[in-house]
Amino acid sequence: MKTIITTALLTFLTVMSYAQTADQIINECQEALGGKNWDKINGMKMSTVIEQGGMQMPMEIVSMRDGRTYSKITIQGMEIIQGAFDGEVVWSTNFMTQKPEKAETDDLENTKRAAKEFPNPLANYKELGYTATLEGQEDVDGVKCHKIKLDKKTHLVEGKEVPNIEYHFIDTDSKALIMTEMEIPSGEMKGMMMQTKFSDYQEVDGVMMPFSNSYGIKGEESQSITFQKIEMNPPVDAEIFKYKGE
Amino acid sequence: MKSILITIAALAMTLPFIAQNEAFMASDYAGDLRARHIGPALMSGRISDIEGHPTNSQIIWVGTAGGGVWKSGDGGLTFIPVFDEYCQSIGAVALDPADPDNNVWVGTGEVWTRNSVSIGDGIYNSKDGGKSWKNMGLEKTDRISSIKIHPKNSSVIYVGALGALWGNSPHRGVYKTVDGGKSWEKILFVNETTGCSELIMDPQNPDILYAAFWEFRRTAYSFSSGGTNSGLYKSTDGGKTWAKIHNGFPEGKFGRIAVAVAPSNGNILYSVIEAENDKQKGLYRSDDAGKSWKFMNGDFGLVVRPFYFSRITIDPKNPDIVVKAGLFGSLSRDGGKSFGSLGSMHADIHDIWFDPNDSQKMFVATDGGVYRSMNMGSTLQMVECLPVSQFYHVSVDNRDPYYVYGGLQDNNSWFGPSSSPGGVEARDWELVGQGDGFRVYPHPTKPQIVYSEMQGAETVWRYDTETRQIKVVKPFAADGDPKLRFNWNAAMTTSLHQPDRLYIGSQFLHLSNDMGNTWTKISPDLTTNDKTKQNQADSGGLSADNSGAENHCTIFTIAESPKNEKTIWIGTDDGLVQLTTDGGKTWANVTANIIGLPANTWCYHIEASRFNESTAYAIFDGHTRNDYNPYIYKTTDFGKTWTSIATPEIKTFVRSFQEDITNPDLLFAGSEMGLYISLNGGKNWSKFTNKMPAVAIHYLEMHPKTHDLIAATHGRGIIILDNADLLSEMKPELLQKQVHFFKSEPTIMSEKTSFGGTSTEHQFVGSNPSDNAQIIYFLPKRHTFGKMTMELFDAKGNYVTKLEPGKQKGINVVEWGFSTRSPKSAKGKTLSGASLFSPRAEAGKYKVRLTKGSDVFEHEFEIQYDPKSPFTLSERQTQQKVTRQLYDSSEDLAYLVYQIDTYDEAVEAYTKTHPKAGKHIGLLNSKLDNLRDQLVVTKGDNYVGQGEPKLREKLGDIFSTIGSYYGAPSTSQLSTVQTLTSELERRKTEFDKIKTVEIKKFEADLNKEKLPAVNIKSKEEFLKPE
Repeated sequence: MKTIITTALLTFLTVMSYAQTADQIINECQEALGGKNWDKINGMKMSTVIEQGGMQMPMEIVSMRDGRTYSKITIQGMEIIQGAFDGEVVWSTNFMTQKPEKAETDDLENTKRAAKEFPNPLANYKELGYTATLEGQEDVDGVKCHKIKLDKKTHLVEGKEVPNIEYHFIDTDSKALIMTEMEIPSGEMKGMMMQTKFSDYQEVDGVMMPFSNSYGIKGEESQSITFQKIEMNPPVDAEIFKYKGE
Repeated sequence: MKSILITIAALAMTLPFIAQNEAFMASDYAGDLRARHIGPALMSGRISDIEGHPTNSQIIWVGTAGGGVWKSGDGGLTFIPVFDEYCQSIGAVALDPADPDNNVWVGTGEVWTRNSVSIGDGIYNSKDGGKSWKNMGLEKTDRISSIKIHPKNSSVIYVGALGALWGNSPHRGVYKTVDGGKSWEKILFVNETTGCSELIMDPQNPDILYAAFWEFRRTAYSFSSGGTNSGLYKSTDGGKTWAKIHNGFPEGKFGRIAVAVAPSNGNILYSVIEAENDKQKGLYRSDDAGKSWKFMNGDFGLVVRPFYFSRITIDPKNPDIVVKAGLFGSLSRDGGKSFGSLGSMHADIHDIWFDPNDSQKMFVATDGGVYRSMNMGSTLQMVECLPVSQFYHVSVDNRDPYYVYGGLQDNNSWFGPSSSPGGVEARDWELVGQGDGFRVYPHPTKPQIVYSEMQGAETVWRYDTETRQIKVVKPFAADGDPKLRFNWNAAMTTSLHQPDRLYIGSQFLHLSNDMGNTWTKISPDLTTNDKTKQNQADSGGLSADNSGAENHCTIFTIAESPKNEKTIWIGTDDGLVQLTTDGGKTWANVTANIIGLPANTWCYHIEASRFNESTAYAIFDGHTRNDYNPYIYKTTDFGKTWTSIATPEIKTFVRSFQEDITNPDLLFAGSEMGLYISLNGGKNWSKFTNKMPAVAIHYLEMHPKTHDLIAATHGRGIIILDNADLLSEMKPELLQKQVHFFKSEPTIMSEKTSFGGTSTEHQFVGSNPSDNAQIIYFLPKRHTFGKMTMELFDAKGNYVTKLEPGKQKGINVVEWGFSTRSPKSAKGKTLSGASLFSPRAEAGKYKVRLTKGSDVFEHEFEIQYDPKSPFTLSERQTQQKVTRQLYDSSEDLAYLVYQIDTYDEAVEAYTKTHPKAGKHIGLLNSKLDNLRDQLVVTKGDNYVGQGEPKLREKLGDIFSTIGSYYGAPSTSQLSTVQTLTSELERRKTEFDKIKTVEIKKFEADLNKEKLPAVNIKSKEEFLKPE
């Protein structure tokens, strides 16, 4: 009988959990991902070797709390920087000329607006003025998740301010962030939903990091990257973020 | 508290019971198993409604007859589907004038009520511009014709519900919500046979509404439009009260009425009336908001087929510019006095939408897709990315890749490949019939011969696709026989046993053993031959409509047993199942043995089992009797007894069925709203939704070699579930395993290469199946925490590459494209892509190692050379040997360049600290630079500014050229290999000389100064993978 009551109570608590608010769920998620331990972290470096079609390409992604970031891929000894932001300029290496080029104004503005989303947009969403709404529960890859709609006000698309909405899917059980989803705002795939799924969570310096990220259009095949190493507060050369084109 | 605990305890006790009895459903674990769409879109399909954004012309919404809802964000150049999870038959799409970016309503159930029209399941709302949807009720209305949203209060919505087509229903009329769809009030109801075919709202005063009501009915054998209950109503108080506005309308009964109000002037209305008297049919105009009407025009283009074309659109700015849907579409620029045709496009126009900001821009909904015009319909261009084709049937051949054959609603008969270089494109499809297309079959052994038919078997063709000879092979009534009755979608099939045999069903079964030249009737009339169901000449109601679409008491399905050619099953549209086991000498009507089946329910399909001659499945579709239940029956004793295997898990009626080829318990059922799969012989069914929209599936076929499931959808073209047979391994026991690898047949490494496709960016291209090796495994639950990696090894245990494993619950598919590790290539100023070429793996056994946390799982699979390859093993071995040689040369070169670079860097560093270093240092520096210049490109960029190719680039080119071919290298290529490898040897010797002289001196300098020696990695260390 005791077992039954325990089970019953658990069931009851599960039922009660439906009444949770978006804010509570986000807090639980952030807590599960490391909570206060994130305060000690000012940057992270994720590195791996991508193997594609037989080619091996070392890759690293660095993200700093102050918004600076870059991704670097090395091919045949040549280093190609993509999506770098030095606080002032968003830039990438042009593959043809191997020279840095600035991203268009929309990207710069949107990157600046998102610069304080460290380690993720949910972490400090209130301070950033974002609004979170619980939109019910959905299954993601067989995991029952809370669906959180995060209204990030607007972003620039083709020069116009348009709503900037993201959906975050949080495991109802473990509270881990399982997926984010957003609409592709322009181009041939405009209107389709881009999904990023997270797995292989492991602890690094007191916080949980998804070592594997998978990217794809909703309902279509996806591409995954698994990081071999994630370092917190890594030593980084400030010069690498800087745009040196002009 | 006690009572709560008891309730909870009771609930908790039921949970294990549910869990134990819960069936293992394919849909819960489908994971990476997803269908692929091959279209086509070149003829597209029927479009039912077009709606545009009121201020942003970039946003256009399209509702289709059977292919869901599509949205364009680029002014109609491209569209994406946004409603795949829901009913695909669309009546109306509406955008909230106050929030058109986000608040969108979709009413399901097409209202262009042809015989093949589908059904709806209510009204849906999206609050986020189509990203997500919620059903907001009105589920039983069947067909929603109109949705009007109050421009200043988004919670107030009026809905016109046409309602059931095939029976009486109280669920029709005008509905209103004042709470955004939470509750609905029926505010105008006429009777159970008369529905609201059009509801419009005054552009200035949202309390003024006009509602057209239509008395109509279809049966499987008749159509009736019109009656005393049809009429046009007006309300001026938001739907509280309504009054008929017929002043100036003709006397007598009305059929379908189209009505529109000018957006620029609420007093001007147009109406097209299907009247009792032919002379009074036509366009009427009111200039006083419906108080009075004046007859304007009775042109054919206005009055043709009212059930199909009752839509009027008025220019947003000029009330005298009026467009009427119709066979070709009619446009008036003088307020309806005279009309001209719209420009050339597919016939059968159902809706027109003007860009409110520029009336010259017009979008038109046709039976053959969406057309756009920049000059108000004078000339038009088809939208080529809408694969909403409506197949009635599909068959396949044995080519590799196999081709699919089928006919389309109002869009001819076709065949096309199941895969094609660059994807399945419009150009890949070949036309093999005219009119409406239905069943198309390839000759079983003569691939150039194709049989096709048009509606009601008006013509049956035998087409030689090589000689381009078309022969009509339709059977005719023999002397003394009655008129042959063929269904609109006439039964026809080839034989599994006799290649030249062809069957066609009228009320009799006809057999030809010479490809249609000679026909023998091998049955009596197998139908009920109910004369009351054979009055099609009187069909149509107020407008005669005897197109053949209502032909009845006909054979609809013919199933020859795969086990015995003399056993043939027949199903008729009037509900009979007949069986012969002696090749047609005698027939047994076994219908009465089917317990629980309502009489005269259309037998849509019979599947004769591949496993047992006495076993068959009979599928009945009752929707033309207003019965939407699924009926699937199985017999194992030649029809003496039948068991129902349809469960309540199937939510609507079923037309098609497929028994798996290797596993009799694996069954597929095509419903009006999607595909259902049973893993246990029909005890349970689950809906498969991975890239399978909730579309009507009219026919299912399984390819005998590939075991692909091929669905003829009536709204989304051909959809293929590759290797559906895989589901055979899905069993509840898998849930007890940590990982289960599916068995795999050896993968053939296809040697077909091509230069790709030719489609442009805005054309639909169907996806190809994977031609990679697939490692398929099952996880009982998603992997979220801890490491999970996958590595690939060859038969000798050598590491080949790492692969990214899937983590989801259920089926995960990891692809390997046979690439092995690229050589480590030399560093240069620019990239040399060819140097990074990855040699193709050799045929043989391979092993993947899946590491999940601390557990390791291994799975072996095999890859084989293409047996159709023109190359011998010895040619392959030569190619592989030379490729390996070039691989090694590339790495030799990489190591050489690495050494040069390392010494050069050391020299440069030394020079910086020793500006007065001896001449030998300068000489070393220049010798290293000169040597490097011969080995790799040292200047320029990766495009047209690139430097002259050097040894790295030349070696890379020949390496990738020889490596990517399947046969032996050419003499010229071998000679180039010789030249380049000799050069490499010379350069290595050159470097050795530098080492023995200049580098030696440099190292002596370092040694003398007690500086660290230059650290050169060993070759083995250098080549070690990253």
